[in-house]
Amino acid sequence: MKRDFHKITVSDTREEIGGMAKSVMFEVPEPLAATFKWRAGQHLTLRFTIGGEDVRRSYSISSSPVSGNPLRITVKRVNGGVVSNHINDTVKAGDVIDVMPPFGGFCLDTGATKRRTHYFFGAGSGITPLHAMLHSVMVAEPHSVAHLAYGNANADSILLNDSFEALLQQHPGRLSVHHVLSAPSMWSGFSYWRKGIVDKAAIAALIKENPPYAQDAQYYICGPGGMNKDVKAALMSMDVPASRIHMESYGGAVDLDNSIKGIAATATIKMGGTDHAVRIAEGQTVLDAVRASGLKPSFSCQSGVCGACRAQLTSGEVHMRARMALEDDDIRKGAVLTCQSVAASAKITIDYDA
Amino acid sequence: MSQPMLHKLPVAAYTSQEWFDRENELIFSRTWRYVGFMEDITEPGQYISVQAGLNNIFIVMGRDMRLRAFHNICRHRGTQLIRAVGKTQKALTCPYHDWTYDLEGNLISVPDEDREFDGIDKSCLGLKPASVDLWRGMLFVHPDPEAGSIMEWFGDVEPKLGPHKVEELPEYPEARITYDIKANWKIVVENYIDVYHLSHLHSGTLHMYDHANAEYGFVGPHFAFWEPPSEQYGADIAKNTPTPLIIPVEQAGAWVPMLFPGIGLAESENSWATFIITPLGPDLTRIENRVRVANASSWEFTKQSTKSYAFWRNNITGKFEADVDKPDDPMTGGDFTAEDIYACEQQQKSLKSPHFEVGPASKGESPVTDHQQVILNWMEQQS
Repeated sequence: MKRDFHKITVSDTREEIGGMAKSVMFEVPEPLAATFKWRAGQHLTLRFTIGGEDVRRSYSISSSPVSGNPLRITVKRVNGGVVSNHINDTVKAGDVIDVMPPFGGFCLDTGATKRRTHYFFGAGSGITPLHAMLHSVMVAEPHSVAHLAYGNANADSILLNDSFEALLQQHPGRLSVHHVLSAPSMWSGFSYWRKGIVDKAAIAALIKENPPYAQDAQYYICGPGGMNKDVKAALMSMDVPASRIHMESYGGAVDLDNSIKGIAATATIKMGGTDHAVRIAEGQTVLDAVRASGLKPSFSCQSGVCGACRAQLTSGEVHMRARMALEDDDIRKGAVLTCQSVAASAKITIDYDA
Repeated sequence: MSQPMLHKLPVAAYTSQEWFDRENELIFSRTWRYVGFMEDITEPGQYISVQAGLNNIFIVMGRDMRLRAFHNICRHRGTQLIRAVGKTQKALTCPYHDWTYDLEGNLISVPDEDREFDGIDKSCLGLKPASVDLWRGMLFVHPDPEAGSIMEWFGDVEPKLGPHKVEELPEYPEARITYDIKANWKIVVENYIDVYHLSHLHSGTLHMYDHANAEYGFVGPHFAFWEPPSEQYGADIAKNTPTPLIIPVEQAGAWVPMLFPGIGLAESENSWATFIITPLGPDLTRIENRVRVANASSWEFTKQSTKSYAFWRNNITGKFEADVDKPDDPMTGGDFTAEDIYACEQQQKSLKSPHFEVGPASKGESPVTDHQQVILNWMEQQS
């Protein structure tokens, strides 16, 4: 699939959590509807020119594809963040933004007869893909239930809480929302579940209080920094098999595996239906080599998180320094993140068209 | 001479080992099988096994409170001995040679592996998975790990069942019984779903409900049935119910479905019960009954029993007057289960007669012939 930027108009915006975040709704024109059809959990890559620089960022789509709501991202201000503050400060209805079609393998696809217990573990702005997933389950998977543990600093920093409140009203008995606050205000009347963070004790308590009824249990994690790794480890220590745990990091620390340096290699790059011979220098990433050769592959975060530079390895071997955007199953099938791949064999073939 | 028929099925379907074996393989080994109540496993490490047709299936709960199901076959000698062990019961083991598996069924340890074997690939020797799920407060297993959602099986009939919140009703353990009926399992099913017999065999025992206004029919292979309270009982249900109500009084009635294969329920305003049918032989069938009642104090049960005493004393009788010479006659005892067992066993006996022949089926017996058609269709589709 070819992933290019398209000019998409902002249909509306909404200030969230007292101006600390903003939801941006897009109006996808009819001819692009199929291209911009999204799966709950996927993200969009946006391109801006800020101070003369071309900058790109990926943001999870916070709206559910089966809810009837428009394509929407919810962007929280990051301290000193160039793009997040630009969006919060300037983006308004009517703006036209360069947007790449929805992408990402951290997804929840609903099924009308599926009957599952979905556990969601989120914190901060990591809630955005989980919100899309959870809303989808409520709308399109009537036999399934969802339990959410949601970490925030205090009651004023809880993104999309009005939506969760509405879903609780609309789907009694199918949804539980557990607020975990690390620094709750003494003056707030907001009732929360636990003080602290979404850690092993909180996870164990959530599951003990809400054991799976539908036995097809699935677990989704999205939070900052080391949270994903910690929650996954906690779940696995409770016998949850890795195949049922789904996660994506959205920035913050990603552990890089620099154990293999990368050798000089010759690559056959399949792009736009043509084979291109590209030389990769020792230690150079496939993406850097491909771009240096004059080709224009799609890419965005360059940290292994967004998946925009994903391609298929059809021969040879590469080493990936990071791989957050791929699930184990994708990797088994040959998917690679070219921005994180260095050559591990003298000849490789990479297919960007697959 | 053509073979004798019981409506749509040959008499042999109710008497021969060959039919029994085929049904066990094609029906009971390929459908969701009732295991018990959800309360039977509530703690990590607890496990039970169940015979599901030809399969023996093992269920165990992990510390994530999720159930896993495996075929109870050790991958070494195939022995049906798997059990959960250890302080935290994180492992499953076969005591024959102590081959040990983790809770995902992966083979993790083989005693004296280096000495006894010239290299074995443990990754190919995991326990074979099966499916497990909870529905209506009951545990179910399916021998196929890819059986899909249990709602694909029960989803269409569920709206025809009662409004009960089954999971909130505690079991009444004293009512749990298991007994055998000397009849083919289909005879038992046919008796359960025969609407015509309710006003006759049970004329003295089941007149709390208005059989003439029953609504019933098949949804796929499952039989659904509902009937409203009778005029006499319905006049004051709050007083006449023998035990506290479990659904709002204005919804009172009896839902008595027979889900396929042989999973009977009896859901009313005051109790919720299972009637699980397991074929043991061509002419022998096991019944397991378990009952849920209101989540109320024993004082409330006593009060309700006192309040309703007069209604039951005056209205429940045997079909016939008791005969002092035959104190055990099921037709005089006033127990509808005894009446049904008696009818089923007498029906089974009749099938042996060289002069056996059935007459026309009534409208109220259409479920009987419809169930026979379900069997015919299923067997044809599966074989």
